[in-house]
Parts: sequence; C-alpha cells; structure tokens
Amino acid sequence: MIYFLKKFSLILLTFILVFTLLSGVVLAQEKVIKIGTLFPLTGSCALAGSRCKAAVETAVEVINNAHPECDVPLAAQEGILGGYKIVLVHADHQGKPDIAKTEAERLFNQEKVYAIVGCYNSACTNPASFVAERQGKIFMCGCSSSAALTERGLKYFFRMAPTDKTESIEFCDVMEWMNEVKGTNLHTIGIIYENTEFGKHAADEGKLAAAEAGFEVIADVPFSPGATNMNSEVQTLKAKNPDVVFGACLGGDYTLWVRTMKQMDWLPKMCLNYCTGYQDPVIAQQLGDDGNYFMGGTGYSPEFADLMPAVAAVENIYKTKIGPSVPFDSDSIQEAVATFILAQAIEKAGTLDYDKVSETLYANEWDSPLSMGGKVAFVPGGQNAKAMSMMTQLQGGEYKRVYPPELATHDIIFPMIPWNQR
Amino acid sequence: MMKGNKKKQDLYWYVLIVLLILIPFIPQVAANSFTQHVLILILLYASMSQAWNIIGGYCGQVSFGHSVFFGIGAYGAGMAVVRFGLPPWPGIILGALLATAVAILISYPCFKLKGHYFAIATFAIVEIFNRLFMVWYWVNGALGLDYPLVEVGWRNFMWYTTKIPYYYGALVLFIIIFGIVRFIEKNRFGYYLRAVREDQETAEATGINSTMVKLSAMALSAFLAAFCGAFFVQYNLRVDPTMVMSLQVSMVFVLVTILGGAGTLFGPLLGAMILIPLQEYTRVLWGGLGRGTDLILFGFLIILIMVRQPKGIMGLVDEYFNYKKMRKVISAESDIKY
Repeated sequence: MIYFLKKFSLILLTFILVFTLLSGVVLAQEKVIKIGTLFPLTGSCALAGSRCKAAVETAVEVINNAHPECDVPLAAQEGILGGYKIVLVHADHQGKPDIAKTEAERLFNQEKVYAIVGCYNSACTNPASFVAERQGKIFMCGCSSSAALTERGLKYFFRMAPTDKTESIEFCDVMEWMNEVKGTNLHTIGIIYENTEFGKHAADEGKLAAAEAGFEVIADVPFSPGATNMNSEVQTLKAKNPDVVFGACLGGDYTLWVRTMKQMDWLPKMCLNYCTGYQDPVIAQQLGDDGNYFMGGTGYSPEFADLMPAVAAVENIYKTKIGPSVPFDSDSIQEAVATFILAQAIEKAGTLDYDKVSETLYANEWDSPLSMGGKVAFVPGGQNAKAMSMMTQLQGGEYKRVYPPELATHDIIFPMIPWNQR
Repeated sequence: MMKGNKKKQDLYWYVLIVLLILIPFIPQVAANSFTQHVLILILLYASMSQAWNIIGGYCGQVSFGHSVFFGIGAYGAGMAVVRFGLPPWPGIILGALLATAVAILISYPCFKLKGHYFAIATFAIVEIFNRLFMVWYWVNGALGLDYPLVEVGWRNFMWYTTKIPYYYGALVLFIIIFGIVRFIEKNRFGYYLRAVREDQETAEATGINSTMVKLSAMALSAFLAAFCGAFFVQYNLRVDPTMVMSLQVSMVFVLVTILGGAGTLFGPLLGAMILIPLQEYTRVLWGGLGRGTDLILFGFLIILIMVRQPKGIMGLVDEYFNYKKMRKVISAESDIKY
C-alpha cells in the first residue's frame, strides 16, 4: 500500500501542476471586447460549423478595420465604442448539448467573453443560451431554427433566422398557391426528419401548419442522425407516396436521403426542405444533377445578388477565410448578421452594460444589408420579426428564386423530373 | 500483521477523502470554474466506471449496456423535475430501482451467453432503449427534457452560478460507490465475483451459484450507475436519449475502467484522472481550431497507453514500482556478494 501511496502522490502532483499551469493563462489585452463563438467544428455538422465560424470572423474583420468597399454598418470605421476591437474566442461543441453548456460556461467564466454567437444546432443553442441567461449575458443566435428557442421568454437571447414555424407556414403557402394558380391538386404530405430537437420541432410545426391549411400528413418518418442507411425510411415514403415531402435532413443525411430515393427510383411531386443540407452549396455541388428540382426556404444564395447587393463585397472577405469557391449560405450569413447586429447595438448603446445593450437591441430597427429585407427587429423572446426567406428550387445546380411570385425569377419545375429522365 | 495493513489502508482512504474535501479551497481551483468542472467530471466518471467495474472488472462480464441504466437514472430525476414539478430526489430513487429491475430482467437471459456474445447482446440493448426513448412521447421523445428555471439549493439539487455544491455532490457519490466496492473487495461476495471471473465452471464446482452472483453484481452495478445518471442530468439540466443512452456513453464506462485498470479499486479513479483532463483540456486548447486536433491527440494517447500496457495505468504504475523494487533487491544481493 505504501507503494500505491507513492504512485498516487506522483500522479496527483502532476495533475495539480497541469491544472495550475492551465488555469494561470491570462490574456492581457486593452480596448478589446471578447466575443465567443460556439459551433460544431467536429462531428457530422463540422462543415456547416466551420462556415458559421468563418462568417463571424468575416463580420469581425469588417467591424475592426475600415472596409470602405463594404456597404454595411460599421464598415467605414475601425472598431466600436471609440476604438474597441473585437477579439474572437472559438469553441467547439461537437454537436453535443452537454459540451455546449460546458463550453458556454467556460467562455463566460474563464475566457471572460462579453457575449456568445452560436450554436447552429438548436439542441446545443438551448442549454448554451440558458447559461448566458442565468448569468445575465447576451447570446446571439444566427441560424438555429427551432421555434421553441424564442418561446422561452429569455431576456438576453436574440435570434436572426426564420423559424421552423415560419418555414412550415411558407411551405403550405406554396402548396396552396400551386393548387390555386397551377391547379396541381396537392393534398398529401410526408415528413422525413432527423430524430433530434431540431428535426422533431420542424416535424411538429410542419404537422400543425398542414392541419391549419387543410392538408393531410400521411407519412411521419423520423430517422437517427448520422444514419448509414435510409432504405427503410425511403421505402416508407414510397409506400405512402405523398404528393409533397417536407424534409429536415442535415448535412450528410440529406445526401444519403436523396441518393436513396434515386436508388429506389422514387420522387414525390414536390419536395420542400427546411434549413438543412438543401441550402448547403457544397452538398448541392456534390449531388450535381441529383440535387436538382428539390426546393427549400433560402435566406441567401449568390443568385440573390440583385436583391442583396451589399453581400458581394463582404462575401469576398468571407471567401479568403473559408475557400475561394465557397460562398455564404443561408446559415452562415445569419451568423455574420448576428455579429454585426451585436456590434451595432453596443455602438448605439454606448456602453457594454448588458441590460442597456439588451434594451437597445429590442428598442431599435437595425439596418442589416446582409439580411433579406434589409432590416432586423426583435420581438419579446428575441425572435427577429423581420426574418425572411424565399423559396428556391435547385435548377441546373443553382438556387433559383421561385416563390413568392413577385420576387421569383423562375417558374417552379413541377412535378420533379423523374430520375430516369434526367 | 494483516490487521495492521488494514488499518493503514483505512488511513490512506480517509486521507484521500480529506484531500478531496479540501481541493476546492485551493485558490486556483476556487477561482476557476472550469477546473471545478473538470474535477466534477473526474469524480463522476470515476464513480460511473467504478459502478461498471463491479460487473465488468471484478466479475469479468463486459457489458456495453450500462448507458441504459445510466439513462434510466437520468430520466428518473429529469421526469420528477420537468414533468411533475417535484424535487429530483423521489425520481432519483425510483430511477435507480427501475434501472435495477431492468438490469435483472435483461441480464437474466443475457447471462446465458458467454464472452463476446454477452457483450454483443448488451450492445443491442442500448440501441433498443435508445430507439424506445426517442419515440416515447411521455418522456418527450427526441426533444428530451429541458429543466425549467427553479429555486437553487439542495432541495432541487440545482445551482446556476456556482459549481462547488456539485463538486461536493459528486464527492458524496464517489465516496459511496468507492466505499461499497472497497467493502465488497474484502467481502465474501468480492471473492465470489473474482472466482466467477477467473473460471465460472470451477467456481460452480466449489458451490458458488454463478448466475445469482452475476445477477447480484449487475443489479448493484445498475443501481449505482443510475445514481450517476441522475447526477449527470442535474448537472447538465437537460437530458435526451442521445446524451445518456448511446453506445458512446456506454463506451465511457468501459474505456475509463480499462484505461485505469479493470478489477482494481483505484483503476477507475486513475482512468478518469487521465482521460477527463485530457479530453477537456485538449478540447479547450485545440477544439476551437476546428480540425479535430484535440480528438486526434486524445485517441492517439489512448492507443499509446493501451499498447504499452494492456492492464491500464494501474499496470503501468505497478510495472514501474516493481522494477524499482527489483532493482533494490538486486543491488542488495550484490552488496552481500561483495
């Protein structure tokens, strides 16, 4: 036992040394506002997380330095509050809610960040934003789309993107419009979704919107995210054969779902996607012709250049951070918006006081050239009431604007072209 | 002589407990909530792995199904708070009892299988429970249970701005579970467990009812794992099936124990002391780079340790001190010669 005590003391001493060294690291900075980013930088959503991180870096680059070529707020000046520069502290939540909570606590308590921007996955945004709320600190959410996040009545939580609820209503609007104008006789819906907080919420909102619009949901198909095989899910859809499918499949799951439908030689007449793999330009590129004729709500795509002319200059900076061939997408651009809006609010409030910045965020309508519609305004709960998306359809590998009709540049190709005729 | 050794061992155990009680008073720890978080996880993971060690280490039945019992414990506490608006305590007790019952029910047929087949069966059980909880509306399915903002304190076992009470909560759990295993180790039941592990047929020939021994070990292991699950949910204030009932969580039970040294009292603690800081600090230092550097390094170090010494850290430590002891003996013998 004396041997054990010796061994144990040795190990304990090593650890005390490591703890002391690591906890003693202090970053001495002046005139700096630290902002934390919290995204999935590893795991199945790592690609999307990396793009979100690069978008925040882009916004900070524009805020910290004079960028006269960018027609966005704060681009002409250097820093905010009379010369304060924003410094980012990045963290990876790996798509796990418990790690998201831990990292949010670490960012606030150890890194002393002023606010956090994140988290992409709704399931991670939920606990991380609770940490901010309990500490009375601000959490800026770009693209997490679960409607429940802004129904919690939090005071310091702000979300930029439209929710699953608004997207579901928009999906039903498109179906109604198609029935009225094109006489398509769409009636039945199938919903395929990943069995997570995001997917389940999306599906629930989809069912509610469908019931209110008088459509019938005949297939409810959940699947485990990161699936390696979706044959049974697609088989269920094929057997029920709904007119329209609402999809909530993120990243690689979206690719697998589309390819499995091709393998089984089945397509619905129309396929509408929540903010998922559909909006990912890299996935669209990988799918090539197979990705065509799918539709979804889109907050930004390079094809929207004429509607959002200010994006191009900022996007050039973004491309230097993520790669020359990767443009902004619907999700990443919302994270840049979140960063810009926070900086504008701090500048306008003239202080870093959390309550004053929070009140300022609520009290004003913000110019946001990177948002569709160009404005951001928050309602109680923190939802951006001006959040908009547009329905697009992938045609020839490009996101074409197809709805609402007044902003559409192309007709919806209906029904989807069968696999063997492409 | 034996009595003297026992007294000495007791003394070391109590010194360890006193040291653990005093750790939060170290200024660096008191001022750093992340260090506190790492310490809490070390105690929690050591306790979880010790619970697994009863059946996996001492009894030699490698179970990959412990996340089920851990999850049932977590859901017990979570349901009490979220669904019924109660303090977590009745849910914790009920969850632990339910986990024990489930363990007995699923283990009885599984114990008819041996070795790899038993391990594979426990894999399947995790998947079954994961899917079940994913679609079970009453426990909120895939959405999981998010804790509401409630009054902080011991009644609700919940704190928002400090981690120190969680540390002491984890320490109590650690003392109870390690205390039980310490007691078993020296008890007749402990010898039965090791006898079954070494050779089930021989153990039965000596009159040990191996099925009853394995079932009792599994029941106790599941009961204790459920308490750890309840602590986990109270600490994270959220539970969903992926967080608690997955193969990944099951692997944590096995990995920590095997890394530290299965079938030894302090193996789980040593495993957690290596694995948790490694996992947490590599993420802090390199996680933000977004290249998975932390995970690559983490995996590499585990491989390195396991290749060097399959008996885990305890094996490495023993090897080192045995070597030193041998050197001493050799040098003493040399002195006699000259």
